[in-house]
Amino acid sequence: MAELDDIIHQPLRLRIMAALNALSPAAAGLEFSRLKKLTGATDGNLGAHIETLAKAGYVAVDKAFVGRKPQTTVTATAAGRGAFARHVATLQEIIAASARQA
Amino acid sequence: MTNVDAREAASALSDIEQIVRRVRQSRIYDLASQIMIMSGVLVFAGNLANWTWPRYGGYVWLSVNVLNVVGCAVISMFGYQRTGVRAFDGRMLAAFLLFFAFGIFCSSVLGHFTPRQMGAFWPIYFMLFYILAGLWFGGAFVAIGLGITVLTLIGYFFVGGFAFLLWMAVVNGGGLILGGLWMRRG
Repeated sequence: MAELDDIIHQPLRLRIMAALNALSPAAAGLEFSRLKKLTGATDGNLGAHIETLAKAGYVAVDKAFVGRKPQTTVTATAAGRGAFARHVATLQEIIAASARQA
Repeated sequence: MTNVDAREAASALSDIEQIVRRVRQSRIYDLASQIMIMSGVLVFAGNLANWTWPRYGGYVWLSVNVLNVVGCAVISMFGYQRTGVRAFDGRMLAAFLLFFAFGIFCSSVLGHFTPRQMGAFWPIYFMLFYILAGLWFGGAFVAIGLGITVLTLIGYFFVGGFAFLLWMAVVNGGGLILGGLWMRRG
């Protein structure tokens, strides 16, 4: 059986990856504030977990100014999408294996 | 390596499903709110123009509806660059044409509505589709649709003469603008 991805498996990081993965690859990503609302995380917590995902190469972070306001946009990379798909497949395998044993 | 049992795996998958649903709804609300605000401004201006030049009501509403369809296409085009979701395509154009054809058939062929009846029929007809859309895409559409329908009917039965157009500018135009802003915050 494939292994779960330790980086993605943490609950908030799983939610971040799920939200980014729900967008089409052609989409521009999600703004930090939107991601915060969707995941229910605090600023500091969300920032720290995005950094972990960025270090792993799973997300790309783009900081820009829209008018005078700074805006941070987070996008899932191809590697991140692949890792997330494998992680979900592994979770499904675990459930299927348990059902077979029962 | 992380080890989880089937119950934890199911819980993680359920978390993912919930987030995906929220992202999709947020994208729909984002696009719909922009369209709603644009429609609200057009409807507000349309009612004021109709109140100012009552004899040209037909031309006013033709222009408002054409601008509305063009505006939806433009917003959708910009939305596609941002979200990767194409909201306005050939099917959507066909849906608009069928919507208007059926409305004209009901109001001018099967029935011969007075301008006042037209002023109540078209907003209620539009709102019916908002309410139907809400059954799939979220309660905000239902709330906005029902709210504007009720206010339109109150105006139709209790606001006399040309003041009805001003009433409609506020409740239909203003209602769509406020509804759009409310959706953006959601």
